[in-house]
Order: sequence, then C-alpha cells, then structure tokens
Amino acid sequence: MAERTIRVDYLARVEGEGALKVRIENGRVEDVELKIFEPPRFFEAFLRGRSYLEAPDITARICGICPVAYQMSSAHAMERALGMTVDGPLRELRRLLYCGEWIESHALHIYLLHAPDFLGYPDAIRLAKDHPEAVAHGLALKKAGNALMQVLGGREIHPINPRVGGFYRVPTRGELEALRPMLSNALGLAEETVRFVAGLDFPDIEEEYEFVALQHPREYPMNEGSVASSRGLHLPVTEFEDVFEEVQVPHSNALQSVRRGAGSYLVGPLARYALNHDRLSPRALSAAHAAGLPPVVRNPYRSIVVRAVEVVYAVEEALRILDAYTPPPAPYVEPPASFHATEGAAITEAPRGMLYHRYRLNADGLIDEAKIVAPTSQNQKRIEDDLRHLVERSLDLDEATLTDACERAIRNHDPCISCATHFLSLDVERR
Amino acid sequence: MALPPADPSDAPTRRTPLVIGLGNDDRGDDAAGLAVVRALGSRTLGAARVLEGPREATGLLDLWTGVERVIVVDAVRSGRPPGTVVRVEVGPHGFPSSVRPSSTHGLSLAEAVGLGISLGAMPRSLVVYGVEAGDFAAGRGLSGPVARGVVEAARRVADELAGAALGAGEG
Repeated sequence: MAERTIRVDYLARVEGEGALKVRIENGRVEDVELKIFEPPRFFEAFLRGRSYLEAPDITARICGICPVAYQMSSAHAMERALGMTVDGPLRELRRLLYCGEWIESHALHIYLLHAPDFLGYPDAIRLAKDHPEAVAHGLALKKAGNALMQVLGGREIHPINPRVGGFYRVPTRGELEALRPMLSNALGLAEETVRFVAGLDFPDIEEEYEFVALQHPREYPMNEGSVASSRGLHLPVTEFEDVFEEVQVPHSNALQSVRRGAGSYLVGPLARYALNHDRLSPRALSAAHAAGLPPVVRNPYRSIVVRAVEVVYAVEEALRILDAYTPPPAPYVEPPASFHATEGAAITEAPRGMLYHRYRLNADGLIDEAKIVAPTSQNQKRIEDDLRHLVERSLDLDEATLTDACERAIRNHDPCISCATHFLSLDVERR
Repeated sequence: MALPPADPSDAPTRRTPLVIGLGNDDRGDDAAGLAVVRALGSRTLGAARVLEGPREATGLLDLWTGVERVIVVDAVRSGRPPGTVVRVEVGPHGFPSSVRPSSTHGLSLAEAVGLGISLGAMPRSLVVYGVEAGDFAAGRGLSGPVARGVVEAARRVADELAGAALGAGEG
C-alpha cells in the first residue's frame, strides 16, 4: 500500500454543504481537510452602511437552525456599543427565547441527525421504523422549543420580534402560561432522552481538548459571561480577538479560528459543560449524574449525552422564567437619541458554541465594520484534529468503514456549515 | 403566519380537506407552492382549509396527522420544462419509486413523508402537486413559465377538491 485516499463528496446529516479529504502515505496520515464548499456569504461586507438596528434581522438570516444566536450576539454587541443595559424581565425573556433555540436545535441533532450513528441506521427515517417512540419524543421536544420561538420570536424560523434593546412586543403572562403544559411534558421527555442516549454504545476514546466557553458567576451561560478555557484562560469578551484569530486555509470557504500560538480549540456543549456544569439546574445535574457523566467529558461521542442534559436544563430554565414572569413596563430599552462613533462586541452561546460579533458604528449609527466568528469556524480545525487521530487509530479499516467513521466523528460536533462559510463530502487518499 | 395544528380529537377538522403550500418566497421559483395556495385562497373552496406550510418539514406531521385528505403543493425539479405541473399520489409506502424527491437543506417533504409513515403520523390520503421550477435565484420572484404553471396547478387543485366534494355529496 503506497497511497490511500478517502473521500466523502457530500456529508450527510450536517447543516450545509461540505466534503472531507484524507491523504494517507506509507501508513501515515499526511493531510486531513474538512472542505467547506458552500459559497461564501459576505454578510460582514453587506452589513456595512446599514443601521445598527438592522443587524439582528440581517444576521438572523445566516442560519435557519440558530437564528436566535445571531440576533442575541448582534443585539448585545450594539447595546454595549451604545452603553445600553437590558435587565429584569427583558433579560429573562431573551434567555427564554434562547432556551427555545437550544431545545429545538439539540432535539433535532440528538434524534434526527446523531442517534442513527449509534444504532446503525443510515437516517432518522429508518431509525423511526424500529424506534418510533424515541423519534416521536424527539419531535415533541422540538415542537416545545419551536413553540417558545413562535411566542417570543413571532415565528419559528428567523424570528422577527427581537430587537436592539429587547423586543418589539413582549408576551402577556397568559401567552407564556399557555406554554406550561407543553413545557412540563417536555421536561419528562428531556429526562427520558438523557436515559435513552446514556444507554448507547460509545467508542472508548478521549481527546485532549482545550475547551472554550462563556462562564458566568451564577448561570449556565447563554447570553452573558466572560471567555474561559480549560487551560486557564479568563478574559473579557472585548479581548477575544487579542487571543483568538481567524486564518484562511486554501481547502475551505470558511475561515478557521485558532487560539494564537496554541492552535485548535473546542466550543459547544462539551466545552460549556466542562466549564459550567456546577451551574446546571438541579434536575439537569441529577440527570447528568444518573447518566454517569464525569465533570469533564473528553469523549466526543458522548456529546450526545451532554446535549441531552442541556435540553433538560433549557426546559427547566424555561419553566423557572415562566414562573417568575411579570411583563416589563416597556418592550424595549430606548436607544440613545444621538450617536458618536463607537464599537461593541458580544459573545453568546449558540447551541453549537460561542458566537462572536463585533461592530464599529459611525456617528450616524451606521455600521462601518462588522466581524462575525461562528461556532463552526472555531471548531473546524479541532474537528480536523479529531479526524486525524481517528484515521491514525483506524488505518486497518476498509475504505467504506473508515469513511463512515469519519462522518460520525464530524457529526459529534453538530457542525453548522452554512454558518461557517462558511460544508461536507470525504476524500481519503492512501499511498 | 399562524399554523393552527389539526386537533386529532376534532372530527370536523379531520374531515376538512387541507391544502398546504410549501416554499421560500425569497428564492425565485421555489415560491411556487406558496403562490398556488395564495391563488386558491381567493377562490371559494367549500370547506377546505388552505395554509402556507411550515418552513421546516417536521411541522407537516403536526398539520396533517389524522386528516382525511391532504394536498401539498411544492416546487419540484425533474428536468421537465419549467411550469410543468405534475400530480403524485403518495401511497402507504411513500412516494412512488419513480419519484425521488430531495432537498439539500434541512428535512425535505420526502423525509417528512418517511418519518410520518414510520411514526403513523400521516393523513389518510396525500396528493402532491409539483410545479417544475426553473430559477431559484434569490429575490427574483416567479419566472414567467412558473407563474403560468401556478395558475394551472391552482385550477387543478380546485377541480380535484370540487370533485371530492361532489363525490362526498353523491356518497
């Protein structure tokens, strides 16, 4: 055997369009390239010259799975630029909206995209034939997340109700109260989901990740916090670009974000959990214990269990917010009447991990510069590292088995390729 | 766009024929299914419910489960001339083997049908009208041939519903 090539021209069960190429020469893995061929999106460029108020609506269009993350990061960045503080019920409503997105996105990934890998099915449809109850649970959970998005966001996909300063319209107590039966039912389904995924078979593998996530003194992070890493980093969001940089690679339309001088890192559920598990709600924490999760999970396959624990958290948190809700006096905090040139940055926790936005505004309140670093840009290099280790361990596998294993390794991290183009087909070359 | 789900306990709702248009208004001819239900909305369709469909396919299961008669209208790509209208009956095993529907993003109508069959979450009868699309360019609106196809599809769906009502009356 001289050279071997493994290729996947079009990755299945990931959001967006991408491919994978692995080149093996004399039994050594020479290249691993996660190729993102979905065309560039140019969002940062066409935000220039637009009003600061438009950023949440425009950037929401970057992703149909995690639009709330884009709305939240952009709104927070603008509020910081303009010195606005959004607290009380408005802050809680934003958290509630984010709970909806986490529930919806995680339920989709756990049941329809990721679970078939563990149970030997090519897709969710075949899984549903043999495990209809499990898939029905997944769809019911997803529906609960969608219902939150509908009520708070105005619609399920690409919500139109959030704005800089809060919301265009806030829900009445009655509108939120109507969601209670669905959410109460979802809490049981979420706990059942943890039990279901904890019973799957996991390859016995651990990776040495540098986990990076927001950390907040009191909360499991969604909208606010400082940037923390498992290797001791702790910095304010404003210093993100001093420590992390995006680099261009020839094989991908997505920039790859790396920690300067240190290389790849991982964002997303494994990172959030490693850095914040002690801030989980009581039932989420006990679900994690019952599932046998250690405080830090380094096995990427077990991310499905961590995602399920985060769903329990998001449902419990949603119920907490719902219990305490009193409508705010105004649906949004008024922006300042006059502007000066200013800048603001924010990170929020999209279901897939940290989403960074920074905007420079001019004295007319128009955007002069926008920078967006999506979770999948941050994870792309780390996914390549996972793949390199997998292929090194698995050189004796035949082509088809190795290709399947590579696709699974990618799905562990729920990449959102549309966001990162910013995705997947496998191409393994052996010499 | 409110999407009142069919209440399975509500027998009259289950018996009311349901027409669902799918598509994306911002992607050229992909909006054909939406345009058909909008055209139907301005006609008298007896008791049929006419809805613009959910943006993602799993939402279809909530809308159509247990409903006796459902017609879905969507843009299709089969290599026929743009604007061509095709009618496909979805059987107990899904789409006929001659039809291989697909979608590059999210879950497709075919996946919703596959999941629905596996989960027992299907209407009693499902017919899909497809309008052959030509151009999916962002922001362009419908192309000429597809706009004409929309008119034909709307007429055929209305005729099919009228025939059903007639049939029901006769029965």
